[in-house]
Amino acid sequence: MKAEVRLDFELKNDIRELAVLSRHLEEMACRAGIPGRTMLEVNLALDELFTNIISYGFPQGGEHRIRFRLSAAPDVLTIVIEDDGVPFDPVACASAPPPPCALEERRVGGLGLHLVRKLVDEMTYRRSTAGRNVLTLRKRIDRQDPPAPAAG
Amino acid sequence: MEITEETRGNARLFHLQGRLDSNTSPALEERLAQAVSNGTRSVVIDFKHLDYISSAGLRVILKTAKILKRENGKLLLCCMQDYVKEVFEIAGFDSFLPILASREEALRQI
Repeated sequence: MKAEVRLDFELKNDIRELAVLSRHLEEMACRAGIPGRTMLEVNLALDELFTNIISYGFPQGGEHRIRFRLSAAPDVLTIVIEDDGVPFDPVACASAPPPPCALEERRVGGLGLHLVRKLVDEMTYRRSTAGRNVLTLRKRIDRQDPPAPAAG
Repeated sequence: MEITEETRGNARLFHLQGRLDSNTSPALEERLAQAVSNGTRSVVIDFKHLDYISSAGLRVILKTAKILKRENGKLLLCCMQDYVKEVFEIAGFDSFLPILASREEALRQI
């Protein structure tokens, strides 16, 4: 097994890029031997964060690029997401889980970030001096799980 | 994502295949809304071939559940893969939405 496997890519602020995101992650899972379940959880976390960025990050519109840098060590996957949108700290905003309650009372605000918090092991945010949001995620890789199935 | 529909007794059965995310959830929302506006009050969604769901998909399910409840109808979910079920559990949706093991079990409860 290689010590570290890296993959960098950029996505446009377009919701259709979600399909491209999952293809990149399949490639990474394949190259780094990351179990399918782990990669599905990472995919969901990145999906929620990406969807948030493109929904709220660019009120002025225009085309923007969201940058993803992945690096897989044997037991941990690190992901850095960078965008030039309005300042937004998802760590501060990820609220406590909503208590179980009746259907009528159920609201879904913040659901995406709640999922992200549950799916990754660590999340840190900083606003860079260049005025970019930089979010770093860490996810433990459990090698007990079977590897990801080949893309089909 | 592929959506197929069929009528089973009083129920409208939806079968989902592929990925339910913010890219594909508007299509499902439209199909479900169409069924309700056509008079359907009992809906079963079969998740057997759904590989992935995000909060955008969960929102459509919740919205449909609320609409059906208001109309004295019913929404039942069945046959979820482990990973999809885990997402429902993390979101806390399993506490108010019935998730059945088989399609037959779901149809029996309609």
